[in-house]
Amino acid sequence: MVQKGHKKYVSLLAFVAPAFILYLLFLLIPTINGLYYSLTSWNGLNSSYRFIGFDNFVELFTEDPYFLDSIWFTLKYVACMVIFQNVIALLIAVLIESRKKSKGLFRTLFFMPNMLSLIISAFMWTFIFTQVFPELAERTVLTFLGQAWIGDPKYSFIAILIISLWNGVGYMMIIYLAGLQGVPQHLKEAAVIDGANIYQQFWHVTLPMITHAITICLFLTLNGAFKVYEVVYGLTGGGPGRSTQVITMNIFEEAFSNNYRYGYASAKSVILFIIVLVFTVIQLRLTKRKEIES
Amino acid sequence: MNRKSVVSWGVNLFLTLGSLIAMFPIYMAVINSFKSDGEMFRSFLSLPQAISFTNYIEAFTRLDMLNSSINSATVSILGIAGILLCASLAGYKLSRTSGRISGFIFMLFIASMLVPFHSIMIPLTRMAKTLHASGSIYGLSVIYIGLGVNMAVFLYHGFVKSIPRELEEAAYMDGCGELKMYFKIIFPLLLPITVTIAILDFLWIWNDFLLPLIMITDTTQYTLILSTNVLFGEYNKEWSLILSSLVLTALPVIIIYVFFQRYIMEGITEGAVKG
Repeated sequence: MVQKGHKKYVSLLAFVAPAFILYLLFLLIPTINGLYYSLTSWNGLNSSYRFIGFDNFVELFTEDPYFLDSIWFTLKYVACMVIFQNVIALLIAVLIESRKKSKGLFRTLFFMPNMLSLIISAFMWTFIFTQVFPELAERTVLTFLGQAWIGDPKYSFIAILIISLWNGVGYMMIIYLAGLQGVPQHLKEAAVIDGANIYQQFWHVTLPMITHAITICLFLTLNGAFKVYEVVYGLTGGGPGRSTQVITMNIFEEAFSNNYRYGYASAKSVILFIIVLVFTVIQLRLTKRKEIES
Repeated sequence: MNRKSVVSWGVNLFLTLGSLIAMFPIYMAVINSFKSDGEMFRSFLSLPQAISFTNYIEAFTRLDMLNSSINSATVSILGIAGILLCASLAGYKLSRTSGRISGFIFMLFIASMLVPFHSIMIPLTRMAKTLHASGSIYGLSVIYIGLGVNMAVFLYHGFVKSIPRELEEAAYMDGCGELKMYFKIIFPLLLPITVTIAILDFLWIWNDFLLPLIMITDTTQYTLILSTNVLFGEYNKEWSLILSSLVLTALPVIIIYVFFQRYIMEGITEGAVKG
């Protein structure tokens, strides 16, 4: 129906208002406020605060080694996640796609861990790492499982990766499977007729056809991995010391458990937002270009 | 055996081993949740001597898991109902209205999907305090609506495009009011995407940890995940109780998964392809 003039806007307003008002109050205004608080000296103990410009940002880059360590640790984590999560998910998807009868069963099983909450996954795996693995190492040939998974930061990092991959691979696998189903059968057949072996088929036919799925999965992995919190919280709590502390945990500690320096913690949140934005924009640019080429 | 079937067996073996590894932690949590602490420490790997629900009964009576379960269910149901109602109204109207204002509002919804939760949690706690929305599960549900509508508006907006306008025009000619027409004609047509959104939001709200953690301090308002978190945080970890509450928390999502698997996977690919 075509409505004219102000009546159109009244009806638009009436339909959109409930969603928009709640969105405004709990998402948009907090986003803008966060930017503002990052420029103030606000702390939770003191009700008065003042505008201090970029002092918070200067401080976190020059006088806060723990924050810089947490950025570095998170970057290492993100790099590993981007590689392993996508390689494993794509491998599983390709293999599942090649099955006929068991396709549905394997898809169901590999995706199931993704249904569990990250924090529940972390608690469950803490049980596995601290209780079950020592027993497995003792009673079976799997002696390499008997490590100090929580006490030694080197192994904790691996443990954090294992939990994240266990939870996350299934999600990417679903997207890769959808991509693989879009590869036209006749292209593969043509490649077989031309004498391409299975690897050539994968590299030259399948991979170029699923670049869109790769773009999406890289984007989702990057976006999610920078925000890692629950897995580390559940497994190590950032320890031993602060050796496995991630950015979000550092923000959380600053705001809610240590000093209640809300202004300063907001500045860290802004940095996190900028890092995620920069990395995802660069990634989208790069992979989109590849998508067009192929 | 020829080469092709050897490869095929290899693939089957690999996938079987992989899915066993994927299932292993869940399996261990479930079998050990039926054991007492003593039986557990004799061996974690052995099957329980008897299926005993002692741990579960203790979790319900001593830790008041029943109350937490009801809280979790309440937050999920209220949050989902609110998101579906608000977002379907907005998504429908934004999709049907052309012009700069509606385009701008839609773009605001979409752009906000990129904002990390951690970047707004501090101002959000303050806003929630000001509006008296923090501290109770009802306030929590309202906050979930505010945080969840953007994604739902986006999905409804896309779906509405596939519904022919003629239906609305005919109803309009018959003198049907706009809201009445929406609830009688449009909303029922949105059912497929409504189911998808409801399930995705259930998984999100039921599984969410950080928002309840910063909003809820009163133990009577705890969600299942918060109760489990407190139990886990105790210095002397009582694994029998922890595992049974982990299984309790995971059970509803696994049931949903078993029944609505198709919707969940479609929701993921749909959201991904459009996004």
